[in-house]
Amino acid sequence: MHAFRNLRNCTKDCLCLYVCPTGASDTENGQIDFKKCIACGLCVSACPSHAISMVPDTFAPQQRKADTMKQEMMKLIQNIAKQEAAAHELAKHSDDKVFAQVAAALEKSNRYMAEDLFREAGYMLPQSKNTHDFLRSLKTVTDGLFPMEAVDQLLTLLDQND
Amino acid sequence: MKKYVCTICGYIYDEAAGSPDQGIAANTKWEDLPEAWVCPICTAPKSMFNEVKEEIKEEAEEKEQKLEIKLNLSSLEMSILCSNLAKGCEKQVLTVEMALFQKLADYFKAHAGKTIDPQFETLRTLVNENLSDIYPIASQTAKELNDRGSLRALVWSEKVSRIQSSLLDRLLKEGSDFIEKTNVYVCEICGYIYVGDEVPEICPVCKVPGFKLHKIERGQ
Repeated sequence: MHAFRNLRNCTKDCLCLYVCPTGASDTENGQIDFKKCIACGLCVSACPSHAISMVPDTFAPQQRKADTMKQEMMKLIQNIAKQEAAAHELAKHSDDKVFAQVAAALEKSNRYMAEDLFREAGYMLPQSKNTHDFLRSLKTVTDGLFPMEAVDQLLTLLDQND
Repeated sequence: MKKYVCTICGYIYDEAAGSPDQGIAANTKWEDLPEAWVCPICTAPKSMFNEVKEEIKEEAEEKEQKLEIKLNLSSLEMSILCSNLAKGCEKQVLTVEMALFQKLADYFKAHAGKTIDPQFETLRTLVNENLSDIYPIASQTAKELNDRGSLRALVWSEKVSRIQSSLLDRLLKEGSDFIEKTNVYVCEICGYIYVGDEVPEICPVCKVPGFKLHKIERGQ
């Protein structure tokens, strides 16, 4: 666990500097020095603008999803992915600038919707077994251009929580 | 032997292979397929198919299919899954992991199968089919299972789909004049699309503050 400063909320009242026993909150880049932070939580209670919170490093397993629910979510994700693909081409190839702009908005909109549906279909946490199974399945990709080192690094860096 | 691609779902009818599941023997020519024959994946009629002409495109399709077989997800679906996990890492301030997932998302997006000759009308049809056929059933399932998380995502996504549908309706009916002099924003949380001069204070669908709605720029 370590403290994290939300820079959007930070109003530089500096109470965190006064209470921090290790100087972790006093940095030139505005973020807390995660390595120095000992997770005492003093800065979280002291901050008058509620800009600091504790980032946990262990997480509960996601609520279990029924198979029927997962299947229906996947059906929807598949369709929305097709919408994103169509919108992507329309954004690239529409002659009318406004039509292309709307297509670009639809491309993003469909991406965000499908991401959210994936979260509820069992892929909320990067630390979940589902995510690890997915990453392990990517080990079978044979394309030489595929960034396999990214898969290997993720499997090393992320603990599995369920 | 020729190949024909379904413009709705991307299924490829290969004359050499036929479609054994539908009782269509190998080496059955496109012209010899019954008029009532439909796409085995999405039931689109023959008229929705185009001949596959370019060699390069065939290779890309084959590569895409290989990935699909192994992981049961299309390349674009894997891209979406990875960009979602990148956001999951971002929320936990795992910046290295976030960048790695984003790298995978970019790879899969670049290798996604292309929609051939897409139209705004077909896009609207897809959105409307979800609204009439999928959301009601999925929401009912979520209610019966008391799965509030899934229900939440479905409610937001259904609302956004309705907005997409009405935006496409208006665009196809009136043309683009109603957008010409104003702005377009997209909510990065739920996908809500807002057409108007100033970004709303909060997203009307998911209630996130307006700074999470991003302006979509118009090309020059």
